[in-house]
Amino acid sequence: MPAMGSCGPFARSRTGGRIVGTCLMARSALLVMVAWLWLPAATAQGGADFFEASVRPLLAEKCFACHTQTKMGGLEMVSREALLRGGQSGPAVEPLAPERSLLIRAVRYDHETLRMPPTERLTDEEVAVLTKWVDDGVVWPDSAQTAAETVDGEFAITDQHRAFWAFRPVEQSGLPPGEGAPIDRFVDAALREAGIPKAPRADRRTLVRRVFYDLLGLPPSPDEMEEFLAAESPDAFAALVDRLLASPRYGERWGRHWLDVARYSDDRLNSTQDEAYPNAWRYRDWVIRAFNDDMPFNLFVKAQLAADQLLPEETGAWSREDLMPGLGMFGLSPKFQDDRIDVTGRGFLALTIGCAQCHDHKFDPIPTKDYYALLGVFNSSEVREHPLAPEAVVKAYREGKQRLDEAEQRLEAFLETQSKQLVDALAAQTSDYVLAAWRVAGPDGATVADAAAERELDGETLQRWVAYLDGWPKQHPLLDRWKQLVADAGSEGGVEDFAAGVQAEVLALITEKKRIDRENDIRLRGDHSGRNIRRTALLALPRDDFYLWNDVASPNSRDLPTPAKSGILYYRGAALERFLSGVWQQHVARARREVERLEDALPPKYPFLHALSDKSAVANEHVHIRGSAENLGDEVPRRFLRILSSGEPPAFQSGSGRLDLARAIASPGNPLTARVMVNRIWLHHFGRGLVGTPSNFGMMGERPSHPRLLDYLAGRFMDGGWSVKALHREILLTDVYQRAAADIPASRAVDPENRLLWRANRRRLDAESMLDSMLYLAGRLSLSAGGPPRQWDEQIRRPRAVYGFVSRRRLDVRLGLFDFPNPNRTSPRRFGTNTPLQGLFFLNSPLLMEQASALAERLGSEVGPDAAQRIRRGYRLVFGRLPTEAELALNREFVTGSQDAWPRLVQAWFSSNEFRYVN
Amino acid sequence: MSTSPSRRDLLRLTGSGLGLVGLSRVLADQPDADPLAPKAPHFAPKAKHVIHLFLNGAPSHVDSFDHKPELAKYHGQPYPGGNLRTERKTGSLMQSPFEFAPSGASGIPLSEIFPHLATVIDKCLVINSMHTDVPFHEPSLFMFNCGQRIAGHPSYGSWLTYGLGTENRNLPGFVVLCPGYPVVGPQLWTSAYLPGIYQGAYIRNTEVEPDKLVPFLRNPSLSVDAQRTQLELLGKLNSLHLERQGPAPQLEATIQAMEVAFRMQSEATDAFDVRLEPDRTRERYGDGDFARGCLIARRLVERGVRVVQVYYGNMQPWDTHDDIQRMRKLAATSDRAMASLIEDLDACGLLDETIVLIGGEFGRTPTVEIAGVTKLHAGRDHNNHGFSVLVAGGGFRQGVRYGSTDEFGFKAVENRVHVRDLHATMLYQLGIDHERLTYRHSGRDFRLTDVEGEVKTDLLA
Repeated sequence: MPAMGSCGPFARSRTGGRIVGTCLMARSALLVMVAWLWLPAATAQGGADFFEASVRPLLAEKCFACHTQTKMGGLEMVSREALLRGGQSGPAVEPLAPERSLLIRAVRYDHETLRMPPTERLTDEEVAVLTKWVDDGVVWPDSAQTAAETVDGEFAITDQHRAFWAFRPVEQSGLPPGEGAPIDRFVDAALREAGIPKAPRADRRTLVRRVFYDLLGLPPSPDEMEEFLAAESPDAFAALVDRLLASPRYGERWGRHWLDVARYSDDRLNSTQDEAYPNAWRYRDWVIRAFNDDMPFNLFVKAQLAADQLLPEETGAWSREDLMPGLGMFGLSPKFQDDRIDVTGRGFLALTIGCAQCHDHKFDPIPTKDYYALLGVFNSSEVREHPLAPEAVVKAYREGKQRLDEAEQRLEAFLETQSKQLVDALAAQTSDYVLAAWRVAGPDGATVADAAAERELDGETLQRWVAYLDGWPKQHPLLDRWKQLVADAGSEGGVEDFAAGVQAEVLALITEKKRIDRENDIRLRGDHSGRNIRRTALLALPRDDFYLWNDVASPNSRDLPTPAKSGILYYRGAALERFLSGVWQQHVARARREVERLEDALPPKYPFLHALSDKSAVANEHVHIRGSAENLGDEVPRRFLRILSSGEPPAFQSGSGRLDLARAIASPGNPLTARVMVNRIWLHHFGRGLVGTPSNFGMMGERPSHPRLLDYLAGRFMDGGWSVKALHREILLTDVYQRAAADIPASRAVDPENRLLWRANRRRLDAESMLDSMLYLAGRLSLSAGGPPRQWDEQIRRPRAVYGFVSRRRLDVRLGLFDFPNPNRTSPRRFGTNTPLQGLFFLNSPLLMEQASALAERLGSEVGPDAAQRIRRGYRLVFGRLPTEAELALNREFVTGSQDAWPRLVQAWFSSNEFRYVN
Repeated sequence: MSTSPSRRDLLRLTGSGLGLVGLSRVLADQPDADPLAPKAPHFAPKAKHVIHLFLNGAPSHVDSFDHKPELAKYHGQPYPGGNLRTERKTGSLMQSPFEFAPSGASGIPLSEIFPHLATVIDKCLVINSMHTDVPFHEPSLFMFNCGQRIAGHPSYGSWLTYGLGTENRNLPGFVVLCPGYPVVGPQLWTSAYLPGIYQGAYIRNTEVEPDKLVPFLRNPSLSVDAQRTQLELLGKLNSLHLERQGPAPQLEATIQAMEVAFRMQSEATDAFDVRLEPDRTRERYGDGDFARGCLIARRLVERGVRVVQVYYGNMQPWDTHDDIQRMRKLAATSDRAMASLIEDLDACGLLDETIVLIGGEFGRTPTVEIAGVTKLHAGRDHNNHGFSVLVAGGGFRQGVRYGSTDEFGFKAVENRVHVRDLHATMLYQLGIDHERLTYRHSGRDFRLTDVEGEVKTDLLA
């Protein structure tokens, strides 16, 4: 697997040095250098390119922290002039003379005192880059700046900023010399320059398995494999690619890649409970369909930002309604945080605009005003339900729901009044109940029924009193007396006094509580919203009194030793209706029937989209100084990023500005959108992008390994109507895609990360491909597509993993185990971790074992009892080939004499590297 | 030119004590390296492990570890100068319903509801001057766990396993125990943008039997022997495959991981099985999920697990808005276990190298909460301005109260310690410079403490 733009755990952030020796940055610098060598002989532009590609990142990483604003040792490394001026030890460089340059001696650690960076030597490769740079004359393009340049306190975008590779227009500069497909000519040219041999073509079996997994995420069936192997035509592979691209399984695979970027989830991140988005899947299905239908990528982008506003002439074969589900990209935001700008920037443009929230971007030409220009757009938009049903249906539902709600509230209010009145009525009999309880709990030992009958009391209420007085750690000092009375068996008398005392206390408390509630209602001015309640000082009963009131009269008092979840005197539901009669009873029965009728009449909720829509009042944002909402700076018009505009970008005109933003992002004049997408596509075909940081094309991202190729592809992509499938086809029909994964020591020595693509990368199946494949081979995969998400443990036959429930709050354990990305943030690519916990899954997962058993059965039923036949069939299914003699023998030995060994055998196949990796 | 070191090379280097820091990108996206192999820290560490007993919901410091006699004296009087802003409306000062008594040789006053902690107080540092940013649970839980107020950043447990690896490769490096979920849930132990391998292994500790605790730990039907023969076959098939593939460190690493997994079945079973403890020990910890969690934490650290977090319970049990006396019950179900854990770690010599952290995401107001959401006025609101944590072991000072809040306990005033300072100091004890433990993500280097955090050497022995 290739490396990400990460530098090991102990990378240094402050001083610029780094402990880790062979970090990516250094290696890539060298390789970029190698890749550059085939370009036309060094020119001024070539020197500037080398500076931007290799030198500046290195300086930024290792030197700038101490030698820009801080000027340690008096040295300020901000320009060629500044280096010539040098610091306390004299000029830092002597152009064309690295041996005499202080900078070079310091980084080589061969100066007597000056050794830089002080904490950690540069690698040999890094030193070589700097040496070459000085040797070439210390090219530092004129106005190049390390940090934001400001004019009148405003971040100024300079020509130099615009000259950075990512912001330059996409350039179609002709093909390198040589033969073969254009892509191969670019790749081969770089390999030739590096002087490293490339791997031969992969054998056809390997290639078929590779392209099936690549495009569909599923293995070829034995028939599909044989069909291809038997095909004589030179176009056989092209025909296979076309067939796969036409399969509905293709969108399920490639749509999922986009869903990683779009941080798709079926729920929101909620702090206390699960909260599903009931219609999130409509966005997921829309993405899958968009890939299957080869929706032009520029339209795909625009639809996700502004489907509600696109004009008919810009939507091609799609109607606005077709495109509306795309708004789910923002309609399904995590909500816990504002990530909309982050996903817009990194997802579409590979720019880390989010870094400019508190200050101008430290490395890229993104002033903080750009951030607030975009924030104004999103804050002028809101998530709104977009019904997918005729207006009449929606209206009928909403009216029906409102009638139901009102009827329920009326009934509820009536019952609440009855409950409270009943509390009052029963409270006035407290003394009788306590005396009756004494008959039960005291020396008489009467039954509850008898004691209740004697005084014409309610049996259940007496039962509650008895249980309460007997079993509850008394929350009121008054009640401690009861324990004493019981202990003395009443010998001292005083039961009557006690009963009268309790009654007086209870009545007084209920009266006091009502007074407090009235007073609080006044204090709240009738506004019982949570926010108002939190900020208003209210009255309450003293602690002991509250607990007594709570035990006796509260609608919800937990933990009482009575079965009811309410106070002793409080009744609800059927228990309450026991006390109602005559007109009251009739009224309740009638109201309840009405509620039931309305419930029955209510149609199921109509389907809808979690869509974005403009607020009725749109507004610009102010800069939040240092990100603080309480410290507002200038108002910023809603507009596009400056670096991607020529001159000052005009303010967006229509509504929130989403449509303008969408058009700006999808414009062919914007060099990033196409580059970013072709790089993502390249990444998924090869396991590594031409730019290794697919969501960061800025200064701190990687430089492209093949810049001309990237631009060639971006140009082809736009010229070809932004067709993703056309791009797949062009990439897949190249030698570079069809190489073997074979090792070539000489090539590995020069390019261990295979950045120059001298061979194919071996790749591990991702979570979905692995789970889907096992189910598919077991005959348990349901290929019905789309619809509401399925819970993972739901049924034996399952749809593909892409249709499983994706949770932000608690991700499925299997997905988490196999590097499914955290759906709270946009994810540029997946990790490929390799852990023992994954091993446990292969050893013990019931899911896996079920599939193994099912496949074992399938083998039996397909080829009968012969072990060798079964093994051969299994190999063709699982590995796409026949076993060798040695393998056949091993497998046979394992199952000999034990029928129940078959599922274990298949489990071992599923656990094997050959199954889990694709060459 | 360097070539990728093989896994065997890596292991040999580790064994020879060179550590892996000098090797490039010992990270999950270089699958030929073992991302959890122990790595040498920046400097010699004092501590190796962290056990965090998270009293989620936020216990009241003035009723537990921060004795404020003035509160009793001025009970019912207004807090001078007006109450600080917290989540809800609060009223006058409210005295603690609990008695405080000097404990141990150090004489640190502790609330009567923690009689067992009082017996080990001489092993503890009581930090009375903690503070955090906002008086709300979610952002403060994120701050305490992930060093940021919002979701999407790695938890400190993930940072630590990323930076240090773990000693026992047959167990996860970072384990989180909770019977269900605390508020927010798994985002509190997420690895976020760090590789997924550094995420906390969440264990629902309602169960006693280990195979119900760890996912896929036990095979539902196969015997160990059957598994062993199966694994032997797998090994042979994999070697034949490997021979055909040529040098392929990632394939080798996968083979290794499978072997470790096989061993893990028995190792993890033992580690999580508290039934293997003598009855007397289990009695000392007491009953309940939290007590069992403390005992499991000890067993895990004994086996080299790097970080163990034990949440007191689901949601936020210590969130006593209504009635501070509920703390009596909460303490009764945690005090014995916490004290026994410290005692046991001390007895087996592990306390010196284990940071035991006890506390919540913030504290509570010394003033009574009078907002309408409370049913009675006997509780306290959230308080980010000042609170306390207890730290035992790991080279922190012992038997000392550090820092202080104002005379009523509302705000940390002397020797203030922000949560990020605590993080920085914990990392320091583990041998890590918090400014240098970084990860490149989204165009810049991120770290646990963002751009803040100061190592408070005053906290250290």
